[in-house]
Amino acid sequence: MTWLPYAVAAWLLAAGLYGLASSRNLIHLVGCLSVCQSATYALLLGLGYRWGSIAPIFYDHPPGTPAVDPVMQALVLTDIVVGATLTALLLVLTVQIFKRTGTLDPEQLKPMRRRGDPAGADAPRSAEHPSR
Amino acid sequence: MSVFLPLIFLLTAASGTAVVLVRDPNRQIFAICANGLVLTILFTALQAPDVALSELAVGAAAVPLLFLVALMAVRAGKVERENGKGGDS
Repeated sequence: MTWLPYAVAAWLLAAGLYGLASSRNLIHLVGCLSVCQSATYALLLGLGYRWGSIAPIFYDHPPGTPAVDPVMQALVLTDIVVGATLTALLLVLTVQIFKRTGTLDPEQLKPMRRRGDPAGADAPRSAEHPSR
Repeated sequence: MSVFLPLIFLLTAASGTAVVLVRDPNRQIFAICANGLVLTILFTALQAPDVALSELAVGAAAVPLLFLVALMAVRAGKVERENGKGGDS
């Protein structure tokens, strides 16, 4: 069963990428990104795990007892903290996008729109450029 | 024990898939919270109690609260936008 953590990590990454690609709501998209990050948790902890060993805390065990890899646990701890800050930053950006454009659907966001245009101001632009 | 760990791994995959497949953001918050709890159990089973503690604090409490605050801000902005339109016309 040593392949199971890698299979779960690959599945979580694939599911998160599918959600990122097919999401129609920016807040839902940030949740899908956190699923992608949980793939890295499963991968790192599955790399450092050894069957039948203890947690790397030697308070009531003699030193030298087989323990799981504490370096991977430190990496996962860093990953969790970075993931939380990334989620907070992306949610703030999402709220700012909603305040500026009035929608959360990535399909309705037009990245090349001029700054300061209201949402329905396409008519004078199409008069300027009749080809559009 | 040798059955418990693969079961928790499969449960992690299922809850992550549930977070992706629940399309409504109001309901996705519950899925994110459940995903954080399942990850906490997984980390405890993988002999990482410190990581499980921080995941319980961050993944199951702080991040869903952030999502709630973002949804509240979006909803307040929606109401404000509708009121502004009504006042103009």
